[in-house]
Amino acid sequence: VNGVPFDHEDARRAFQSVAAFEGADDVELVITASTTGLTRFALSEIIQNTVRREVNAYVRIAVGLRSATAATTQLDDEHLLAAARSALVAARASPEDAEFPGLPSPDEVGRAEALFRWDDATAETTPAGRAKVVREIVQASGPHRVAGAYETSSHAYAVLSSKGMDCYDAHTRCVVSGLVDTTAATGWGEDSSYAAHEVDAGSAVARARKKAESGAGAVSMEPGHYEVVLEPAAVATMIDYLSYSGMGAKQVLDGDSWLAERAGKPVAAPEITVADDVFHPTSVGIGFDFEGVPKRRVPVIDHGVATGPVTDYRTAKRLGVSPTGHFSGSVEFGPYASHVVVGGGEKSLEDLIGEVEDGVLVTRFHYVNVLDRPSTLLTGMTRDGTFRISRGEIKEPLRNFRFAQSVLESLDAAADIGRDLVAFAPNYGSFGCTVAPALRVSDFHFASTTSH
Amino acid sequence: MSRGSLVDVRPSAVALGQYGGGRSVDTLYQQYGRAMRDLVIAAIDAADARGATYADARAVKMDSESLGVRGPRVEDLDRSESLGFGVRVLAEGAWGFAASTDLTTEEAARVSATAVDVARASATARLRPVELVPEPAHRAVWATPTSRDPFEVPLEEKVDVLTRAGEVMEAHPQIRVGRATMDASREQTWFASSEGAALEQTIIHTAGGIEATAVADGEVQQRSYPASFRGHYEAGGYEVVERMDLDGNAEQTALEAAELLTAPECPSGISTLVLDGHQVMLQVHESVGHPTELDRVLGMEAAFAGTSFVGLADLGSLRYGSDLVSIVADATSPGGLGTFGFDDEGVEAQRVDLIRNGVLVGLLTSRETAATIGAERSNGTMRADGWENFPLIRMTNVNLLPGEGSLDDLIADVDDGIVMATNKSWSIDDRRTNFQFGCEIAWEIKRGRLGRIYKNPRYTGITPAFWGSCDAVAGPQEWRMRGTPNCGKGQPGQTMRVGHGTSPARFRNVSIGVTQ
Repeated sequence: VNGVPFDHEDARRAFQSVAAFEGADDVELVITASTTGLTRFALSEIIQNTVRREVNAYVRIAVGLRSATAATTQLDDEHLLAAARSALVAARASPEDAEFPGLPSPDEVGRAEALFRWDDATAETTPAGRAKVVREIVQASGPHRVAGAYETSSHAYAVLSSKGMDCYDAHTRCVVSGLVDTTAATGWGEDSSYAAHEVDAGSAVARARKKAESGAGAVSMEPGHYEVVLEPAAVATMIDYLSYSGMGAKQVLDGDSWLAERAGKPVAAPEITVADDVFHPTSVGIGFDFEGVPKRRVPVIDHGVATGPVTDYRTAKRLGVSPTGHFSGSVEFGPYASHVVVGGGEKSLEDLIGEVEDGVLVTRFHYVNVLDRPSTLLTGMTRDGTFRISRGEIKEPLRNFRFAQSVLESLDAAADIGRDLVAFAPNYGSFGCTVAPALRVSDFHFASTTSH
Repeated sequence: MSRGSLVDVRPSAVALGQYGGGRSVDTLYQQYGRAMRDLVIAAIDAADARGATYADARAVKMDSESLGVRGPRVEDLDRSESLGFGVRVLAEGAWGFAASTDLTTEEAARVSATAVDVARASATARLRPVELVPEPAHRAVWATPTSRDPFEVPLEEKVDVLTRAGEVMEAHPQIRVGRATMDASREQTWFASSEGAALEQTIIHTAGGIEATAVADGEVQQRSYPASFRGHYEAGGYEVVERMDLDGNAEQTALEAAELLTAPECPSGISTLVLDGHQVMLQVHESVGHPTELDRVLGMEAAFAGTSFVGLADLGSLRYGSDLVSIVADATSPGGLGTFGFDDEGVEAQRVDLIRNGVLVGLLTSRETAATIGAERSNGTMRADGWENFPLIRMTNVNLLPGEGSLDDLIADVDDGIVMATNKSWSIDDRRTNFQFGCEIAWEIKRGRLGRIYKNPRYTGITPAFWGSCDAVAGPQEWRMRGTPNCGKGQPGQTMRVGHGTSPARFRNVSIGVTQ
């Protein structure tokens, strides 16, 4: 394996320095590391170009019913021991926590299998290689300005503990995005995969260019309720906020989740299944959570019915169930569904558009935020390709809308599901992946419009 | 290349002995100072040897502590130390950047060589060479003034304050979660450039806050103090938290959250709107701070964060708001999250006008973008999230200058209107015109007096029209330095802490609650 940020033996060596830390009942070491090359371009030229190596080590110390974590970016004995000392002082300063379940052991929760979504060529991509792709993107944009990013990265994760955890996994990732600007309109395209050879930058830019060239002369349409076709990027954004609004057991236990009052009830069209599923072939991730608990596929909406939340070791103990392997790294936030997949249907995007008598095609959303968590009401803007659909065909470009729409109501009003599933990398950080198809939604609320 | 000692102290810099409650900066730097200085100088030398025409290097040690309790229990007690360095170079007219956590001079040379290789690759897809406006090669030490080092305060003392507040809130039957938090960070930066700049900075931020979440019958309402999203952040020491009286405000915070459960929905319609200082902060941030970033104006952030409705031709002529609206970017404001001695490309902290009496007069610039528009000097807004990121144009402290009178005076002049307080949600389009904000709580105003409370208050607007409708800004007695710790921008995503000095303000004919 070439280019791995650290290997399993590196992690084991690091753990030995703190494994028997004096004063601690148990010790856990989580290591995350990455090497990322990211080339940003705008105005059809490279504007920023970075290569960075990162390492983070998190030492958790447990003393009875007390625990605390200290982190460092250095893997040498001196810094790891300093982190352990800092965590021990913090743990001793805390009051006892009756809900602290201790650290999980593999005997209890099982041993995770590494997924190793890895591609040597992606890990070895050079700055010159990334610049070559950018030049091709600029070429494919023709006379128009283009902006975006091309990223290749490699990531490794390890969880080791005095309870016997000894997990290691690694993956690579490649992401391309492009916004083509004709000065009269913009269009968007993106692609991502664990392997660079599966990422088609040319097609992504071609989609962006086609949308931009079709977008001149956008007209204003009255806000209101419309049938819409949401392209996969728009669906993925809504699903990300559905996860944020309460797919985790901590939020459910706190009553601050859309799942809290809906478990076992129908919440979406019967064709809709939403699951956290890192094992999906297009997803990119690792086989365990940040406590080393093996990940499981968890249906959160199963054929339209709300089922269970994802759990971590702590919330699983409170609920009396087995943990699903979704510890976020924060007890305050609890478990998090970071690899959500929306099951696909049988129709192409063109089929979905072809079934709309009078509606709107949405390419993607911008700056979405939660208005009401229990009802999953969101607001945000459309951007980079909003078109009217009339009698099954894409017609005039539209000025962008602000929407005010519940995610669950959208899923309930889902009339058709696209067959092509697209994987999206997170906008912030490197952990997570959302896989989504296009959706035809029979009723979607646009609250206002804007001047472009 | 010029380099040398880093011991020069600017007259305006904090006296060394005042830092950290009497500990000297030299003492604090004892463990890392020499090594970090050697590291950044080795990086500059290596970049020079590889043919860079410009180079700067930043070594950063970021210590942070995050403490969160729920009721009487500590949920999170995390401490972290982030040590690393980044090298930014120009070669063949293009930028390259590389960063690492390996703090050896050998790694510094390797990273610099990588940065130069990256720059040469960038040059193959570059239409015009990068140019930088000049900046004096500053050599100085700067530190945030503090009275009480937050890292020296015993953890037991912090836990005691937070758990008392948590217990008071969770004593109310309708409060499902009573959460209290404290955060502290100390960022030490060693900066050197091939132009001879040599800077050391220590920036300390401290934060605290409480939030009560009330739940009943599927309804969830939250009330926070002194601000939402982990409370109030300020540059300074533990004295920032001591001023808040967190446990003393827990009872009222819980009562308001519980009251919101049965409060009516905020009515929709066109009305007069009075915003508290915290919501004015978010309004300034989203609809003035971001649109006046010159990289957005030029299209450099088009793909991700977006662009701006502001154009270069608008400088000096665009009517951005009413005559009462004057806004500055001030990196020298005491207590601001955007307060520093020098930005992350070594430009001295400045105060510049962005909007003067309602007219756009300035933009946030860098050495590169200032050259692009023919300006003589950067106004010092390049900031990076840690050692691992390329600096970007970021807000420093974008402050709405105070007007006159108190919040009560603003309300007294309203016959029929709404007061909204404490930001809850935000959204704005990619050119920063169409926005919608939500707040935690609202009160009706009838004949100049506050009435009943409303839940789920929201308002929408178009940026210049909204600021044009501002007919009152409260005076200095209501003006506070506030801050947001989570401003996102760039790829890879960078999170920045930015400050906003604001006081309450009043706006006429605002669309309220119109999204439902």
